[in-house]
Amino acid sequence: MIKFWNKRAKLGIITEKPELEERLKKIRKEIKKSVNKHFAGSLAIRMVDSGSCNACEAECNALSNPYYDLERLGIYFVASPRHADVMLLSGVMTFNMTPHVKEAYAQIPSPKWVISVGDCPMMQAPFERTYAINAPATEHLPIAHHIAGCPPSPLEIMEGLLEFLKKI
Amino acid sequence: MRFIARFCKEKSEYFEIITIYDEHNEKEEISKEHPSIKTITIKNPAGIWFERKMHDDFGIIFEDAFDNRPLVHQERFPKDIHPLRKEFTQTKIEETPYLPYKYEEIDGDGVFQVAVGPIHAGIIEPGHFQFSQAGENMLHLEVRHFYTHKGIEKMLEGKRLEDAKPIVERISGNESIAYQICYRDIYLQATKQELPLSLQKRHALLLEIERTIHHLTDVGFIPNDAGFGSALSFASKLGEEARRKMKEVTGHRFGFGAVSFENSFIDIVAFNEWLNDLDKDIDFFEDWIMDIPSLWDRFDTTGILSLKQAVKYASVGVVARASGVKIDRRENPFYLKHGFSMANEESGDVGARFKVRLKELKNSIEMMRHFLEEDETVLEVAEICDGEYQSFCESSIGELFMSIDIKDGVIERFFARDPSFMNWQAVHIMMQKDIIADFPLINKSCDLSYAGNDL
Ligand code: SF4
Repeated sequence: MIKFWNKRAKLGIITEKPELEERLKKIRKEIKKSVNKHFAGSLAIRMVDSGSCNACEAECNALSNPYYDLERLGIYFVASPRHADVMLLSGVMTFNMTPHVKEAYAQIPSPKWVISVGDCPMMQAPFERTYAINAPATEHLPIAHHIAGCPPSPLEIMEGLLEFLKKI
Repeated sequence: MRFIARFCKEKSEYFEIITIYDEHNEKEEISKEHPSIKTITIKNPAGIWFERKMHDDFGIIFEDAFDNRPLVHQERFPKDIHPLRKEFTQTKIEETPYLPYKYEEIDGDGVFQVAVGPIHAGIIEPGHFQFSQAGENMLHLEVRHFYTHKGIEKMLEGKRLEDAKPIVERISGNESIAYQICYRDIYLQATKQELPLSLQKRHALLLEIERTIHHLTDVGFIPNDAGFGSALSFASKLGEEARRKMKEVTGHRFGFGAVSFENSFIDIVAFNEWLNDLDKDIDFFEDWIMDIPSLWDRFDTTGILSLKQAVKYASVGVVARASGVKIDRRENPFYLKHGFSMANEESGDVGARFKVRLKELKNSIEMMRHFLEEDETVLEVAEICDGEYQSFCESSIGELFMSIDIKDGVIERFFARDPSFMNWQAVHIMMQKDIIADFPLINKSCDLSYAGNDL
């Protein structure tokens, strides 16, 4: 155990390391400010995968790693749509997922917003239309903001969230 | 004889059912008027998903199968359509009235059902788990998937190999390199070419970076699901660094589009430095994590898949190796020459799967050192010949199988069997001695793909 504490002291807090990109530092500050302003310091996101390749989820998971640590800015991924302000939607809206995505949206209390993440929901990823795909998501849900990329990097997702926060 | 896959091809006069075993393949022809054939599931229970899928896709009847419920086609899916038949060309279908799916359930005094999913509590892909519970004890679990089914097999038909590649590399984001390597091998077979050693090494390097990222994520998430969050913080930091390395080498954080026939520059000094740091960090991590008794109390004897069951269900990959099955597609002269050693455990529990991942991480680092090479070889690709081609690759989850038929220069039939497709079918066995609170931990210890499974 002593080795662990030694390591911890040596490593410090990597989110605050000065060599980290300036860009990240800047958006972090801005996000925190807007979350404070629009959502009283806490923005709850429910992530819903409507048929992705899982890379978009992996990048959203990466938002919690020590480099980005989104929770410090007041943005949380919550377990239930009923706790959420925003639905973060990835994937191509498969035929099999469409009813469940709509149900999850219905369960989010108003006011609510849908942010689509990745090229899939807009049908801009390389996937092509088949019987099993219902995208674009705009035909099924009101999309308030779109974060493009295949997949967008954690930094791009943060920038996208900031743009959304500035919009509302 | 290990069962690998079973799938159907539509020929002009008949359906061809192909069964792949590790030692040989079997082909059977059945008529289009009465498409019916004997099941193989008495001997190979993992054949059942293949057969149920074939029923949905092609309308084939399997005589004496122990389960003939729909698999891919869910409650609102139009009945009596078989999208993989050539005559089916629709790109849109309408929802039909909800027809409930009959779950496998155990009844009895005080026994109740817990339905979980398709949308889960975390940032995770959709799938459904139906538990029959007696108090906390899990009596039975049915895994039900195919929520992310995109019809990729159909999507790729009629495409040239080059045009299909961006789709193939996105079948399962975490295994993209593995899919690309399977695809590469088929491409090479179709052009009757050999891959220069230097390109082979570069692709193998990419595959090990991918495995490293995936295993690092898992060795963080598994303890996290047992309530030990600091392991996730530590491992996800290493995972992020590995992902950035992937970006540095391939220009993409997941290596989409990276397996090509052109080698590009790689900064070997920086790469080696990263490997050395990672090596030390993993040693530290192992030393730290092995010494937390409360964690191992959760890991040991939880979610056991015995050797016998793993063999019976034809499990593959990390799950199989943790149960003592010695299979790994990398066990070949090329990999052995570059430092491959098979990671094995006996106990088949969560702890074993965790340890196999740690061992593989260390082995990957060693192999990556051997694969590093400064080289700018380019392979000029030749013309593609029609034919039926198959390939294998060991992804970070396990053995991946791909089969592509090319006719008139375009894809006539595409089939891929993700390792998850086998292992999902064994997950219900792991639950039988545990309580429901252990489910997330057991599930995470297998870390199977939904996207690759559902296709
Ligand atoms: S947008 Fe790209 S990375 Fe994201 S889920 Fe779709 S295919 Fe995968």
